[in-house]
Amino acid sequence: MDPQMMVELGALTLVGAAALIAGVAEDLESDVGSQSNPNSQVQLAPQMGYLHRLYNKAISGEPASYPFYAAIGASTALAVLSITGNSSLIGVFFALVAGAFVTSLIHGVYATTSYMGRLASQSRFGQPIYMDVLRTHTPVLMAHGFVANFSVLLLTWVIIAQHFSPFPFVVLAFIWGIALGGVGSAVGDVHLGTDRYYQDRPYGSGVNAAHSGSVVRKAESGLRNSIDCAWFCSKFGGPLTGLGFGLVVYLHFWKEVVVTGWWSVLAGVIIVVIFIIMNTYLERYSRQRYGTYKAEAEE
Amino acid sequence: MFSLLYWVWIILGGILIGAGVHFIPVGGAPAAMSQATGVGTGTTMLAAASGLTGLIGAGSAYAATGGDFGYTIVMGGISAALMISILAFIANVMYVYGAGVPLASAKVKYDPISKWRQDLYVSRGTEGHGTPMSSFISGIIGAFLAGVGGALVYFALAASYAGIPGFGATFAGYPAPYYVSLAAAFAIGIFFLNCVMASYNIGGTIEGFHDPKFRRLPKSILASLVVSAVGGLFALLIVVMLPGGI
Amino acid sequence: MAEGERSPRQLLTIGVVGGLIGIYLANYLNSTTGTAWFSFFAGLGAVLAVFWGADAVRRVASYGLGTGVPSIGLLSLGAGQVAVLLGLAVAMNYSIHWAAPIIALILAAIIGLVSGVMARRVIKMNIAIMERSMMEIAMAASLIMLGFSTTIAGGFGFDLIMKYVVASGFIIAVFIVGGMAMLHPFNACLGPDERQKRTLNLALSTGFIAMLVAGIAAGAINGIQAAVPTMIIAIFGWIIYYLRFFADTKQDAAAVLSTGLLPKEEEVA
Repeated sequence: MDPQMMVELGALTLVGAAALIAGVAEDLESDVGSQSNPNSQVQLAPQMGYLHRLYNKAISGEPASYPFYAAIGASTALAVLSITGNSSLIGVFFALVAGAFVTSLIHGVYATTSYMGRLASQSRFGQPIYMDVLRTHTPVLMAHGFVANFSVLLLTWVIIAQHFSPFPFVVLAFIWGIALGGVGSAVGDVHLGTDRYYQDRPYGSGVNAAHSGSVVRKAESGLRNSIDCAWFCSKFGGPLTGLGFGLVVYLHFWKEVVVTGWWSVLAGVIIVVIFIIMNTYLERYSRQRYGTYKAEAEE
Repeated sequence: MFSLLYWVWIILGGILIGAGVHFIPVGGAPAAMSQATGVGTGTTMLAAASGLTGLIGAGSAYAATGGDFGYTIVMGGISAALMISILAFIANVMYVYGAGVPLASAKVKYDPISKWRQDLYVSRGTEGHGTPMSSFISGIIGAFLAGVGGALVYFALAASYAGIPGFGATFAGYPAPYYVSLAAAFAIGIFFLNCVMASYNIGGTIEGFHDPKFRRLPKSILASLVVSAVGGLFALLIVVMLPGGI
Repeated sequence: MAEGERSPRQLLTIGVVGGLIGIYLANYLNSTTGTAWFSFFAGLGAVLAVFWGADAVRRVASYGLGTGVPSIGLLSLGAGQVAVLLGLAVAMNYSIHWAAPIIALILAAIIGLVSGVMARRVIKMNIAIMERSMMEIAMAASLIMLGFSTTIAGGFGFDLIMKYVVASGFIIAVFIVGGMAMLHPFNACLGPDERQKRTLNLALSTGFIAMLVAGIAAGAINGIQAAVPTMIIAIFGWIIYYLRFFADTKQDAAAVLSTGLLPKEEEVA
């Protein structure tokens, strides 16, 4: 193995690790805010007569809001680097921290506007705005968002510094933001939407469309809040999202670093085929293990 | 330089993006409640998430080979297909182990590829959950098409802009040349033009090529053709307007 | 249209005239004085374009697009971005520097109109105002992108924008931050009791946040001359309109409670 490839594989490991952390933090952040898909249930609940104390953060979907944060963070980092210069490692590190910090402030502001805006637009259903929900949840959102954004900026910076991609810093951060949001809303949200919001319903089936909006509003003690949801989802939804985004970023560059030229294409095809086979086994396992919902004769 | 061939590639790329969106199984918001088959994100953004990851692959391939057409295009497609296969598989792990539901579709009685019975595995009051075999394969095909489309657009733009005098320079010591930045920004813009049009055509959720909504594809192809023809022409006219460079 | 609302025509005038004036002031004051102190005017113009675009998004998205509010904003920004750079290139080629923003606006209108016609006639979306709205949103998007790009680069010459905004990648930041500013207000206020005044106050507040980001990016190009005035004005503007939005929220909401349990059913009625 030549030394150049060892350095590149080391950088790639760092990229993958940063992506994993970004995925976990992103999913937990969206669970605290009820962003993206499960937001439809929180939005529907007052209309169905279920008033709640959950957060309602509709900064559009995650795949649109994460590129937004990433682009702000990357621009701020570039602005800081234009003063300090990008030669020293510690300077770059602080520039990325500054980028993630400014982003988390703007994120917090946007989050409060969507909580207040959406609930004020539901006044006919009698849904009150709780200022303590706003005060306690927003810093948690900002903190998770900070971790996620810093990780995205870090992995983008390593990619640029290692010349894995010719795109400018901001453009690359933007695209990874979309990918991160896509993974977060496809994977992590299922745990929140199917399981946590409907914990009083029987486990092991989809949520009946007739029950839409009847989210769980009472907790083990007192009323359910969205920080409880992040606690719950941190057990499975968050880590799995992290694994997903980590694999996306790691395998994307792995196939280009370890082999080159048309062999990369072949490596990509092989990985895709492996995932198809794994998915087939998973599907068959789920059907055999869980069985059918209705008997054949009932049709 | 301006070339009609590049314009054709942008139009073809736009059509492929629009067509690819129709293949990608999208459950939208209901998928997060295990109420609909497919991956739980909006049509536009799921296509963008995979297609633009493909664009990163295409960008690296273009830079590494100095503009090899076939390699750039195929790398764009395979990178996007890789992204969505990981995404859909991990989402399926979530459905099986997190929500405890089997993967099933309510639109067909038997899966067209695996031939497995579907309707008995759909829980009450839902339209399926997870991404079963046909939708999974369909998603990989769709992401491949969208990735190839994005790569075609990027290739045509980058190859056109690379010839403009002065566009090989870079910004303040960062590695990206002007033409790469401009081509990447426009490729993202044209990607959104086409995939939003396609998602308006789908209007919500789609399960893949076996979904009845898939028959709406011709309308989307016409819309993509016109929109990317106009957008692509505008993008390529910049080359004509800058004979002396900047 | 309810009592006390601003009409689409009024907003169109504010957006187009305000946006163009801001962009021209920034460009010509900067080039006359040879500094970058006046870049913030373009940002203010772009904020007015956000104000107009947010209302256009509000009008079309209240029909229900079937795929979320953000899609239309992203489409229009994709269109606006191509239109802006071609407009600048045309002006540069024919040496009509002053006409660049107007050409960009017209090109954006063409591409928006084409998208609108396709959406309404080919895809057959049942939204009567689709063509007009897409055209307006694409025009607003082009003014937003040109305004914030001018703030960053200090002028709207093709070479300046190309060198400082596109090559550095800031164009994508302008794309998504300006787009979010335009589409977030209606998305955040979505619901049966949405009210134009509250949504538009929020639009100004998000517009000033976008201006703040443009100010930060301008710091990377033109240093404190561009960054400091832009950021100070953006922060003050943001505070003013955020407080107004907050006051509107208090007025519109069912109740604003510091804390408490859920209301009993008989209390809600």
